[in-house]
Amino acid sequence: MPEIIEIKNITKEFKVLNRREGLKGSLKDLFSRDYKIVRAVDNVSLSIGQGEIVGYLGPNGAGKSTTIKMMTGVLEPTSGEILVDGNIPYRNRTKNAQNIGVVFGQRSQLWWALPLVESFKILKDIYRIPDENYNGMIELYRSLVDIDPLLHKPVRQMSLGQRTLSDILAAFLHDPKIVFLDEPTIGLDVSMKAKIRTLIHALNKEKKTTVILTTHDMGDVDALCHRIIIIDKGKMLYDNDIEHLKGFFGSYRTLKIRVGEDPEKQAEKIRAELPEFSVSADDEWISVLVDEEKAKVIDVLGQLQKTHNIRDMQLEEISTEEVIKKIYEEGVQ
Amino acid sequence: MKTTMKRKGLIFYLRIYGKILAQDLKSKMSYRADFIISTIGMIFTNIAGFVSFWILFRNFSSINGWGYYEMLFLYGFSLVSLTPVQCFFDNNWSLRQYVYSGDFIKYCFRPINLFFYFQSEVFDIKGLGQLAFGIGTIAYSWANMDLPFDALMLLKLIVFMLTASLIMISLQNAAAATCFWIQNSFYVLDLVFRFKDYAKYPVTIFSPVFRFIFTFVFPIAFIAYYPSLVILRPDEVPILSWLSPVIGVIFFFISYKIWMYGATKYSGTGS
Repeated sequence: MPEIIEIKNITKEFKVLNRREGLKGSLKDLFSRDYKIVRAVDNVSLSIGQGEIVGYLGPNGAGKSTTIKMMTGVLEPTSGEILVDGNIPYRNRTKNAQNIGVVFGQRSQLWWALPLVESFKILKDIYRIPDENYNGMIELYRSLVDIDPLLHKPVRQMSLGQRTLSDILAAFLHDPKIVFLDEPTIGLDVSMKAKIRTLIHALNKEKKTTVILTTHDMGDVDALCHRIIIIDKGKMLYDNDIEHLKGFFGSYRTLKIRVGEDPEKQAEKIRAELPEFSVSADDEWISVLVDEEKAKVIDVLGQLQKTHNIRDMQLEEISTEEVIKKIYEEGVQ
Repeated sequence: MKTTMKRKGLIFYLRIYGKILAQDLKSKMSYRADFIISTIGMIFTNIAGFVSFWILFRNFSSINGWGYYEMLFLYGFSLVSLTPVQCFFDNNWSLRQYVYSGDFIKYCFRPINLFFYFQSEVFDIKGLGQLAFGIGTIAYSWANMDLPFDALMLLKLIVFMLTASLIMISLQNAAAATCFWIQNSFYVLDLVFRFKDYAKYPVTIFSPVFRFIFTFVFPIAFIAYYPSLVILRPDEVPILSWLSPVIGVIFFFISYKIWMYGATKYSGTGS
């Protein structure tokens, strides 16, 4: 698989004024030279191959957006090297822009007042898409989603879901080598999320487009990404496939039990009995996250059975969501 | 490479602008009530401006040696030369909101000139009414002053109008671009826009200090006064008037560079 993005030891620092409190502080700030350096991205290296879908994850403020801005040529790294399809993005922003497509969450890049098809036609001119490629792309879209009702609707009148869908279609229109999707499913309902995931998957398959996806929705990751990269406080924590990631926490399993009335209160008791495990409860089930290196699930169940009347039980492997949550909270040991 | 990179010339940009403009007008017309009300508003704004001018001259027969028709010409000239900034560069007024909210970043992902892409998004049709009023005013005062009319005069008129437009555009670009560095740049933009009201008076009526400011600091004297001298008083044209086309181009270039510098320094808010 040829590499399409090569990042070597990039660091991005911002100079931030140390702000003081109150009105007096604000006045002092006017003349202040008291800056601190904030390192938003710290010595990150990675390479991404043509056609991959990569989940780029991290808690808020981890440095995800900064990295993406550097890959799209909006920001210049403080140090290190980036090559996107052989170009240095910030040196040649417009040339790089020809090779990429970007969707930034809820910020539509389409012309607000224009019907979608007119936006497409302007994009066709901007990216100089030949007629046959353009028509081919529209045909492909038509086979994947029901675009005809959207084409003649002004973007302003669309629902959030339709707008996101349109933005994604617009980002793929010039058949870019890489598409950056920043939280594409944020705020959407379940069926729209599914539709968008299917669309991204199909476009990646059909066009071999590399997709870099940042999201907080593990449903997106499970549906689309083979590989994930996790970044926090500017540092790279993890770069490998999801199965491997689960291996880190493979010794964890979730034991769910149902114990009749008032699970919240029962969970409280269990928490006292099993202080070494995390216990949570919903309307029906009580979940115990068991670290099998400390105790076998079957033993925990046996112990609980002595004190509680267990009506039903389930055993779950740890979900991606929980793994990511644990990494955000504790890091990779 | 999927598409061969050709140089993106004037034709390329004109085509795109034309397309955006045509679509934009079409969608504006479809909101009929909106369109009619803003047209009426525009007509009244122009009439009000004209009435205040007329009242002024009911009381004074001339200002510092400038007669009614000369002043009228100056007024019309400033209306016409302020049209391009109104029509084509109105998005500058929204720039600070885009920058503040972080939405400006959406302009950075297209393979075309950033400045062009940003300005192309808005065409303010209200400027066209101003243009019509301005041309009417110029024609009326021209006829009443018995000025000669030939191809050379027309050429001069057009060249100096374009010059004046360039100056105003440059001022507005530079003022709008301050938002890349300071939080509330509205006051800067507003200040520049208020200064333009002085453009319709001959700069000689001001004290030497303001004359200096309006010539070299906020060069609004170039919006109507210096260029109009070429038409109105060909015998007393200062060297600055003849230089104004060059100055206009230089100013525009500088303001464009400031704008683009600000835009590339821009890093966007996190998301």
